[in-house]
Amino acid sequence: MSEEQVKTLLQRADEIAGNPVFSTVSAVRIRRRLQRRRVFRTAVPLAAAAAVTIAIALLTRSGQVETPQQQPQPQQQIASLQEQVNQLKAQTDATLKLVQEVLERDRQQQRLDALEAELASIPDPVRRMEQQVDRSAFLLVYQADRLYKELNQTESAVAAYKEVIQLFPTNQWADVARERLSQIEQRRINKSEDKGETRCEPRSV
Amino acid sequence: MSAMVRTSEELDLATQFRQGDDSAFDRIVEQHSAEIAALANRLLGWPGDVEDVVQEVFLSAFLGLKKFRGECRLRTWLFTITVNRCRSFRFRRRRVLARVAIDDPEAAAGSGSGCDQVPMDEETFAMVRRAVQTLPRKYREVTVLRYLQGLQTQEICDLLGITANAMQVRLNRARARLKEQLGDLFEEKS
Repeated sequence: MSEEQVKTLLQRADEIAGNPVFSTVSAVRIRRRLQRRRVFRTAVPLAAAAAVTIAIALLTRSGQVETPQQQPQPQQQIASLQEQVNQLKAQTDATLKLVQEVLERDRQQQRLDALEAELASIPDPVRRMEQQVDRSAFLLVYQADRLYKELNQTESAVAAYKEVIQLFPTNQWADVARERLSQIEQRRINKSEDKGETRCEPRSV
Repeated sequence: MSAMVRTSEELDLATQFRQGDDSAFDRIVEQHSAEIAALANRLLGWPGDVEDVVQEVFLSAFLGLKKFRGECRLRTWLFTITVNRCRSFRFRRRRVLARVAIDDPEAAAGSGSGCDQVPMDEETFAMVRRAVQTLPRKYREVTVLRYLQGLQTQEICDLLGITANAMQVRLNRARARLKEQLGDLFEEKS
C-alpha cells in the first residue's frame, strides 16, 4: 500500500462526504456575542452573591427570632437588620430585573438577526419581475429579428415588433423594436422609390 | 515571493484590525472560513454541521488577533486554533457519547452498519471515514492535515509543535492502522 493510494482513497472518501455546513461569521456578530458573554459573566455571579447574602441574612434573623431568651437583642438592632434585609432584597430584585432585561434584549436581538438573515435570503420580487419582463421582451425582439433577417418574413416580424411595443412600452427592448420598425419602413420606402424610378425609365431597345 | 506577499497582506489585515477596522476581520473570515470549516469537519469525523466549531475558532481568533505578530502564516495560526478547538469539542462529545452508550449500547454500536440500501461505493467510503475517525488523535490529526488539507511537512510541524521525524512516524503508524482496519479494501484497490 503506497502513500499515494492512501491519499487518493482518503480524498475520495472526503469528497463523497460533501462540504460542511456553517453560517458566515462577522466581526459585528462576534462583538455582540462577546458582549453577551461579558454581561452573563458579571450579572450571574452578582445575582448569586445577592441571593446568598439574603439567605444568610434571613437565616441569621430566624436564628435570632427563635432564641430570644438566649441572646436578647435590642429592638433597634432587629429593626436595622430588617432594614438591611429589605435593602438586600431590593438589590437582588434590581439585579434580577437587569438580568431579565438583558436576556430579553438578547432574545430580541437574536430574533432580529434571524429575521434579517431571512430577509436577506429572499430575492427582491420586483427585481425578479423586471428581469422576467426584460427577458420576455428580449425574446420577442430576438424572434422578430430572426423572422425578418433569417426567414425573410417581414410582415410577421413587423407584427412581433408591434407586439413588443404594445406589451412593454417602457422597456428598453420596445425602443429597439421601434428602431427596427422604422428601419423596415425606411427600407420599404426606398424599395418603392427604386421601383418607381425603374418603371419611369425608358426601356432601351 | 508570493508567500512573502501573502504574509505581508495578512500582517496588514491584522494591523488594520488592531486599529479598529472590523472589515479587516471580515476579510480574514471570508478568506479562511471555508478551509477552517473543512478542517473541522474532517477532524470531527465528517459530521457535516460544524457551525459551533467555526464560530468558536473565529471568536478565539477575534480575541487573539491583536497578539498576532506574523511569525507564522495566518492560515497556520487559524489551523492551530481549529485543531485545539476540535480537540476540546471531541473530548466533550466523547463524554456525552459515553453516557449515551451506557444508556443505549445498540445505538452507539450500530451507527454505520446495516445499510443494505446504500450503494456499495458510498458505504465503502463511509467505512474509510470511520477508520480515520477511530484513529488515535495524534495519528488522525497528521493524516487529515497531510492527506486531506494538503499541508507541507514544515507547516504541520509548526502547527502541532512536533519534529519532522515525529510527524513521519505518526503518518507511518496511521497508515499501518488504516491498513489494518481496511485491509481488504486496500487489496481490492491495489
